[in-house]
Amino acid sequence: MTASVDLADFLPAYLAEVEELLDSAHRHLMAVEASARRGSAHPKSVRELFRALHTIKGLSAMVDVEPIVSISHWMESSLRQADQAGGRLPESSVEPLMEGLRAVEQRMRQLASGKDAAPVPPGLLERLEALGVSTSVVPGAARPVAVTLDETLALGSRLTPVEREQLTTSVGHRRPMRVDFIPGAERAARGITINSVRERLATLGDLVKVVPLAGPAPGGGSLTFVLLLSTEASDAVLMEAAGGEPAQVRALSTLTASLADDGAPAPVREPELEEPEEGRRSSGTLRVEVSRLDEALERLASLVVNRSRLQRAVADLTAVGAPTRELRAILHENGRQLRDMRAAILRLRMVRVGDVLDRLPLLVRGLRRTTGKPVRLEMDVGDAELDKAVADRILPALVHLVRNAVDHALESPEERRAAGKSLEGTVRLGCHANASGWVDLTVTDDGRGVDAEAVARRARVPAPRDSDDLLELLCRPGFSTREEVTSTSGRGMGMDIVRRIVVDQLGGDLRLETRVGVGTTFHLRVPLTITLLDAIIFECAGLRYAVAVGSVEELIEVEAARVVRPAGAHGVALVERRGQAVSLVSLAQLLGSASAQQAVDATPARGLVVRQRGDLVAFGVDRLLGQQEIVLRPLEDPLVRVPGVAGATDLGDGQPTLVLDLNALGAARRPGAGGREERAT
Amino acid sequence: MPEVLVVDDSKVMRDMVVACLRPYPGLNFTHASSGLEAIERLSLSPYDLVVLDLNMPDIGGIEVVEFVRGQDHLRALPIIIVTTRGDDASRTRALTAGANRFMTKPFKPDDILAEARGLLEEKPA
Repeated sequence: MTASVDLADFLPAYLAEVEELLDSAHRHLMAVEASARRGSAHPKSVRELFRALHTIKGLSAMVDVEPIVSISHWMESSLRQADQAGGRLPESSVEPLMEGLRAVEQRMRQLASGKDAAPVPPGLLERLEALGVSTSVVPGAARPVAVTLDETLALGSRLTPVEREQLTTSVGHRRPMRVDFIPGAERAARGITINSVRERLATLGDLVKVVPLAGPAPGGGSLTFVLLLSTEASDAVLMEAAGGEPAQVRALSTLTASLADDGAPAPVREPELEEPEEGRRSSGTLRVEVSRLDEALERLASLVVNRSRLQRAVADLTAVGAPTRELRAILHENGRQLRDMRAAILRLRMVRVGDVLDRLPLLVRGLRRTTGKPVRLEMDVGDAELDKAVADRILPALVHLVRNAVDHALESPEERRAAGKSLEGTVRLGCHANASGWVDLTVTDDGRGVDAEAVARRARVPAPRDSDDLLELLCRPGFSTREEVTSTSGRGMGMDIVRRIVVDQLGGDLRLETRVGVGTTFHLRVPLTITLLDAIIFECAGLRYAVAVGSVEELIEVEAARVVRPAGAHGVALVERRGQAVSLVSLAQLLGSASAQQAVDATPARGLVVRQRGDLVAFGVDRLLGQQEIVLRPLEDPLVRVPGVAGATDLGDGQPTLVLDLNALGAARRPGAGGREERAT
Repeated sequence: MPEVLVVDDSKVMRDMVVACLRPYPGLNFTHASSGLEAIERLSLSPYDLVVLDLNMPDIGGIEVVEFVRGQDHLRALPIIIVTTRGDDASRTRALTAGANRFMTKPFKPDDILAEARGLLEEKPA
């Protein structure tokens, strides 16, 4: 009999999903707040917020995290009322809800670090419970244009008043449309399902309702999904989105909506800034563990290695006069295909910069409260994308720069008034990818600027000559321009960490541009993508090196007594490993930091056993220093790199460390594929 | 081999339900992440049991139950509703609509397993 399951095993998956739900909740709460400030309702976001908390509550109950269950329960209750009130939430409710989300977030962090979730903070439940939510249903600001729904469709009765209004409120060229999708096994096999059709249509307009209708359907089906939406898209586009025949597309009304199509002046379109772009966000997305993508990249790397062997073989053939033109053409094409494939896999790891920076508005909102400075965050990040691994690393640096900007750079409202500036400070975040594989990010403020003289005085050095020198000063470890430690940016990391992330870790570039009284801009340039590697760090002849964990079969102790060394300096030393003899290669000698005689005299302490073309080889090293994840910075294009050296990395000391590819190191010098007659010279 | 359709928009929740039912020998599981997908799958292939969340983004569990019960060939399909504490009003609605069982989160793995066992075995073979 199988033992019954322990739901606590689901904690990591639970944490990951709740984190996503919290992101969504934050986004929607911000949208609700923006609407509340204008006195309007935001039914969609209130509904999404409610659903996120409802799911958090249910999941937390399953894994038995009572404090989160209680917090989300009371938040959910107040949101249910708001939902029933047509999506209207008073502005005063936003802060307690934010507080609730923060409390849930804190407890998630505690759980993630292996602790128990702390009890609910005193007073929070009472504040949430007390949220008075207006229950009067107020019609939306936009007046519905007179469009009558085709009642013969018998669908009208299934729409709520809010849905009916959503559908018939004509904005711009939008028309109310009905799309009939008929599911089928063959369509499902091609990925055309109600989920995919719904997601595609949601990107084309305002998808109001989906109604399943049973009964004979065109094409021999027995089920029809009727999707009602308000959209500007043409019939052909809608048909395409619904997967083509036997789907059907028709307009719900021929009255007013069609006038707009005839070239009548379109009414001014309502701005929909706060609309979370749910459609685009979720359209056909798939969550994949990054490690799986890395696996694909690794497989690709072995293809690349294979290709170099092929290339050598062809070169040998060419050298003896064989007709290899066709072969070389194929090889050339193959190289291009491999590069394309590598790019395609790397693209899978790309995340939208806008999504990564999702939380910055929340951060600035918090800073507005704690500093009392009115500040506006402008984000101009477009559709730029970044490798997830780069994004995860760059985010803390950006958070720090934005904090710094609000906390240090922006003046108090009084100072700003005196300086003739607008009272509200602005922090602007820009981002664009350039064609050569780099992403440029800027953090700009319109604050007081950096006073180079003052910085120099504090650092007790002569005044910097230019902005590079100034940045150098600011990036000194522990440097702060403030005497007192402020609650926002006094703690945590300084500019030195920002530079370490951007320059040392990511191999990018950090620049500063500042004008006293006008403002400061930090320019960050980071690579679009990086390679992460689990590496063993070791020391050999006084230098540190790294090697990918995956390439090492085994770590062995090398005992001098078990090393069999033929006479002379040029024979192959053998070391015993589980009763088998394995070639022992002196890495120090191979890397040129020890002579053959030195290599014989000093038996290495440890051996890294790797496989080279099927044979085991032990590389002797002096000392193992540990294992850590490193950012691999290739020295060259991976298709033409030096055999044996995969690239360089920064282990956190600012010094470049070589990352070796032991599977290839020294192998190129070996005659033939047999390799048993190897000479370690 | 009995086919089970697990419907929930939360992947973790679907995985938990599957883990709870796993001790029952020979079950085959299909996931659906929305009420609409559940209806689509039910129209395309036969199932022996549905575990259904009530609160989903497009159409809720109750509408799924109503739809299923409106179909001749699905009238006898056993349905277990799963929902969250505080949704007591839905309980009556779900049972009226024709759900067979009602589980409230948090439930014990053994409890849902016992309900599933009961429903799968009382069904005429």
